[in-house]
Amino acid sequence: MNIKLKAPISTAIAIGVGIVVLAGYFIPSITNIRFILLRTGLVLAAVALLVGIINLLTVHIKKMGSEGENSGYSLILIITLLVTLAVGIIDMLQTYLAGQPNFQMTNWVFTYIQLPIETSMLAVTAVSLTYAAANILRKRMDLFSITFFFVILLVLLGSFSVPPANIPFLHVVHDWIIRVPALGGARGLLLGIALGTITTGIRILMGTDRPYGG
Amino acid sequence: MSATGFTGIVVVVLFFGLMIFFSIIESEPKEKKNRPIPAYDKIIQEVNEAVEDGTQLHISLGRGGITGPESASALAGLSILKQVIEKSSVSDYPPVASTGNAVISILAQDTIKGTFQAGSAYDQGRNPSGELVGLTPFSYAAGTLTTIRDNNVSANIHTGWFGSEVTWLTTAGERQSSPTIAGTAQLPAQAIIYASASDPLIGEELYAGGAYLGAGKIHLASISAQDVFRWIIIFIILTSVLFNFLGIDTFIEDILAGSM
Repeated sequence: MNIKLKAPISTAIAIGVGIVVLAGYFIPSITNIRFILLRTGLVLAAVALLVGIINLLTVHIKKMGSEGENSGYSLILIITLLVTLAVGIIDMLQTYLAGQPNFQMTNWVFTYIQLPIETSMLAVTAVSLTYAAANILRKRMDLFSITFFFVILLVLLGSFSVPPANIPFLHVVHDWIIRVPALGGARGLLLGIALGTITTGIRILMGTDRPYGG
Repeated sequence: MSATGFTGIVVVVLFFGLMIFFSIIESEPKEKKNRPIPAYDKIIQEVNEAVEDGTQLHISLGRGGITGPESASALAGLSILKQVIEKSSVSDYPPVASTGNAVISILAQDTIKGTFQAGSAYDQGRNPSGELVGLTPFSYAAGTLTTIRDNNVSANIHTGWFGSEVTWLTTAGERQSSPTIAGTAQLPAQAIIYASASDPLIGEELYAGGAYLGAGKIHLASISAQDVFRWIIIFIILTSVLFNFLGIDTFIEDILAGSM
């Protein structure tokens, strides 16, 4: 007889830990248990990161073998991953031998390679956002989209501080939009998100949502 | 126990009770009429078309983990992933999932495997991925672009925790002429999604995926419980405004401060 024990056990652990962590927020006497469980979770998340990187490597090795149009990118990813790993290991060895923190090479990689690349991507994001905002009326010509478009326009015009675009009336409109409708709308959305978050959490605690294969 | 802690427990217990109550009293899920959310209708339509055309759906779950405030949106994304896989289990090309967080990547793989095994359709050879594509916002976006540009991907569903990098994903989908359904809990990213996605999910709509994709009675009951709480919040806000207008709000605050 094939008895499947994995699902009930994993569900029981998830529900039990969830209830204790939730109760730890409200009952001060079990706060320490909550911290222990959360710290254990963080250690497991670090192990998961290692598993994730191995998964990333495996996926891209497979992609390289498939001779697809993106196989070149996969090769670059694998080379950079291994080089960065090697740099990190060398820095760790130097730190161990010197007896004091020395992460010069790792810092160099982040400062002169990763940071400029991500900053340039952020700059392109600004262009991409402008394109998306300009495109919204072509995509959905309804009342909400028209309002969205003109509010963006008003807020942008009200943000200019260089003459002749510096119009005091638009500054007042800009401030009013930020302080009243935008803030009210944001609070409304956050209330809805909070309600959705609570129901998602309760469904996990009840075991009706089981995103762990149970 | 502090007043905040007591209020928290009351809210959670009340929510729990309401969900149980509505799951018992509400009739068959098919008879219940929720307000229409076009993005979920679009997901069902795209799942059906993908099954018929032999194409794939791409589901990106964002960068949220499970130990921070972003966890609920990541878990909501996993719930949508599960429903999409269940509905497309007869397809030759199962959905492909991508994430920017290691824990969610493992949970996505587990969800995929568990859902296929439950449907007796698990086959290691054709198992869809739940791959980790990048850990920083832009490396995640860059890694996901290759999947979006895959010719066999007919639609993209972005549900989870995203920042402004989501614009890369939504505009890439648009350039491929493939529909993009997207939702997140981050407010700036919601504005971006509204402007750039063909079918946006606004606010708490992200968390209603299970109810709209047929996950069961408890999901529908949770929508009803949210509605009850929404009315309670509206009542509290209006009462507060009225009390403030009448000048008796400080009087009540003094009473509450004295009792707690």
